[in-house]
Amino acid sequence: MSATTAARSRLRLPSVQTSVGIAVIGVVAAFVIYPVYYLVQASLDVGDPEVRPPTAYGLDNFEALPRYWEIMVNTLVVAFAATVMALVFGFLTAWILNRTNVPFRRTLEQAMAVPYYVTPLLGALAWSLLGAPESGFINQIWRALGGSGAIIDIISPMGIAWVMALFEGSVAFVMIGAVMKSMDPSLEEASQINGAGRFYTMLRITLPLVTPGVLGAAIFVFAEMLGSFSAALVLGTPTRYYVITTAIYQLVAQYPPRIPLAAALGVSLFAVMFAMLFFYRRVISRRSYVTVSGKAFRPRLTDVGGLRWVLFGICGSYVLLSVVLPLLTLIYASVQKLAVAFPAASNFTLDNYRQALTQNAVRYAMSNSLILGVLTATIGVALTGMLSWLIHRSRVPGRGVLEYIAMFPQAVPRLVFAFGMMWAWLVFPIPIYGTLWLLLIAYLTVFLPLGVRTISSVLLQLDKSLEECGEVCGASWAHRMRTITMPLLRPGLLAAWMLLFIASVRELGASILLMGPHSQVITPAIVDAWFGSSSELTAAMALIQTVVLGLAVAVFSLITRRSSRQGG
Amino acid sequence: MPSAHIEVENLEIHYGPVAAVGPVSFSVMPGQQVTLLGPSGCGKTTTLRAIAGLERPSAGTIRIGGQTVYASDGGINVPAEKRGLSMVFQSYAIWPHMTVFENVAYGLRVRRKSKAEIEEKVRTALDLVQMGAYAGRHASQLSGGQQQRVALARACAFSPNVLLFDEPLSNLDAKLRGDMRIELRELQHRLGVTSVYVTHDLEEALAMSDQIVVMRRGHIEQNGSPNEIYNYPRTAFVADFVGSANLIGGRLRPDLSKDGFVALEADGGHILHGVSHGRVPGENPVMSVRTVHLRLAAEQGDAPVNVWPVVVRRCVFLGDMTQVHVEWGGRDLVIRQTTADVWHEGDGAWLSISPDSCVLLEAE
Repeated sequence: MSATTAARSRLRLPSVQTSVGIAVIGVVAAFVIYPVYYLVQASLDVGDPEVRPPTAYGLDNFEALPRYWEIMVNTLVVAFAATVMALVFGFLTAWILNRTNVPFRRTLEQAMAVPYYVTPLLGALAWSLLGAPESGFINQIWRALGGSGAIIDIISPMGIAWVMALFEGSVAFVMIGAVMKSMDPSLEEASQINGAGRFYTMLRITLPLVTPGVLGAAIFVFAEMLGSFSAALVLGTPTRYYVITTAIYQLVAQYPPRIPLAAALGVSLFAVMFAMLFFYRRVISRRSYVTVSGKAFRPRLTDVGGLRWVLFGICGSYVLLSVVLPLLTLIYASVQKLAVAFPAASNFTLDNYRQALTQNAVRYAMSNSLILGVLTATIGVALTGMLSWLIHRSRVPGRGVLEYIAMFPQAVPRLVFAFGMMWAWLVFPIPIYGTLWLLLIAYLTVFLPLGVRTISSVLLQLDKSLEECGEVCGASWAHRMRTITMPLLRPGLLAAWMLLFIASVRELGASILLMGPHSQVITPAIVDAWFGSSSELTAAMALIQTVVLGLAVAVFSLITRRSSRQGG
Repeated sequence: MPSAHIEVENLEIHYGPVAAVGPVSFSVMPGQQVTLLGPSGCGKTTTLRAIAGLERPSAGTIRIGGQTVYASDGGINVPAEKRGLSMVFQSYAIWPHMTVFENVAYGLRVRRKSKAEIEEKVRTALDLVQMGAYAGRHASQLSGGQQQRVALARACAFSPNVLLFDEPLSNLDAKLRGDMRIELRELQHRLGVTSVYVTHDLEEALAMSDQIVVMRRGHIEQNGSPNEIYNYPRTAFVADFVGSANLIGGRLRPDLSKDGFVALEADGGHILHGVSHGRVPGENPVMSVRTVHLRLAAEQGDAPVNVWPVVVRRCVFLGDMTQVHVEWGGRDLVIRQTTADVWHEGDGAWLSISPDSCVLLEAE
């Protein structure tokens, strides 16, 4: 230590840490707040719709909303029904897989993660082939067996809810499962030692303990459902059954667009979701008495006897309905000349794949998506990694606020966010509107919470003193980051890269509004094909996307696994 | 007189509106080991981390080797990596992605030492803790005790002028802890390095320190040599926390004082002679009597004061010692004796204690 060191610390020259921190905070704040500002501005615009910035402000757009009460009711009905179903799926499977001696538990547990990767869009496409009232496979088989009419109708509010619930069910499963895993089994054992029977224990101990967790999951899932887009787009629009997100899309995409009204809808939706997620955080942080000791317990498994095969069947059917059946349907449809016909050799064709692979638009969109996926994942990991560190480890003032800003996009449906972004970047002096750059910024922004959550969960498990020890050993901040923090965070960073990549390539809500003729991406192209060309071609495109994504992930994990083996 | 190596002056640390520490002041002489002792939550670790530069104080001054590393008025706050000290963490903080060698070499590499020097110093450090054979291993392949040794070697390897210890032995089992205690003390003597040690374990503090700072609720209760702390506790808290003591309340009887001893009339009526050690008692004077200083005998003996007949209530065998409860002036007194004498409930006996071992406490 020298006199100059002391002098320098007295002057408080910005260190590397401070400058990087300020840069990251600046970028994140701009990404998140800038579009939200324009969204709110548009919602208050009551002047000439052709002129920007607005010539007059007022609440007229919000006052006009009650006229669209039907859309609100639709949204609530679908979201409520879907939440109830998702919670039933989630609770049942979480209980079966965590608390009973169901056979093949390990395999089932892994299978439960798959619906998340299959996506509601694929599910909606497949279920629409399965359950359309006239042509759906299930209804055709029903009629062939002698039934009459339609046994299920997927082109209905309940159909939308069903598809949404199938895919959000795995989210509920993870959330409720975490609560059940973190429950100390000795709490229940103590009840039995005190003379309570199994049923009484369940009623008085188990249920009260898991209730806050389940309630938290319910709020979270409901908020997600309010903002979900793709299932309602595929299954609702044909019959003009609109929910808020699809209505916003309609208002923006139609001619002439009704921007201010769409913005008012978006702001209202986001206000409700924000309130719900705020409430969710309160519920989660309030469950102080609940078992949260940060310790993973080996849960006590109940021997359910012969019933275990029934429970296995329940979990199996969930995976079947959400993954196996939709994928088989798409595969079948993709090799048919006419998807809704019964199998016949003459109907078989590979034309759909040929068409999908030779169409320039599709190839172009696919390669754009992959480029964006790699860029989003790479930049996103650097950005969210830095953010997580700043939030959890730095002594930067205002890091609590930073966490709120970073998690903010969680409360805004991607479509609504993209809408604000579209409006914001249209007036931006550098012309990035209609380019891939805009999509890149959009993806980076809307996936901030995903990246921060993934990396933070690993970071929080790292003993803080591992870094502090480097500090005491005399290593500078940059050196510590390079030699200690980043190597230890490696699993989290890789997982985040993968999740961001997958999420970007599959993204629909933001892309559908922000892509231009020269920045096509694949998922909106699939939706276009669904409404514009044939369902067989759509099925082929959706499968190509799935396979390419699967291959990319396989290659990535192969490379990282090999390099980690070399690294020792 | 040499000047202090570490000086902490009016240090205060706040978490938001909550005061975690302070103000506290103490200093450490070169080559000495000072222990911050106290129950959990007393602010000892926070104080240590402030010295290390890992915690930002709200007020006060910290000087290390004459150099000010933190001063609230001067706006000085030298970052931890520039303070040139070293620390052993409670969790050891052995980097799991490096080998033992790389762990120990870290501080040397940061200082851009030559390859040969790194090699040599790491060897020396590892040999010092008898871990030379494990240089190529990963942290995951080490036991708790071995990790502890590596952490120690890492802390010493780059020859820091100050070593900080944050409860380094608390994660070891009792037997190993006892061995490591002695090893650490020897090592500290051999290296002659100034160190600050944090623990809540009394025996550890007594065995390892030149000076003990007893802390409670962010403040210093007493600062002195192990001998002083043990034999002349300043407050009831110290008397109770450092070893086991009987606290006897009553009123002072200046009329009965003799031979330089103060006399206390206990609430039960017995007169107890003891030392005041220059302390001013509060309104309700209390004397501390260590359980191991009390003597129980069948005969009265010939001591002029502090001898009373008592009745044995209970006798508990604890292994190394026996704990006897006796009825004394309407209350229970605890005696810990190492003798093999066996007492039975209801036995009559004579209780005695040297007045030097009865210490008048300051008011809290």
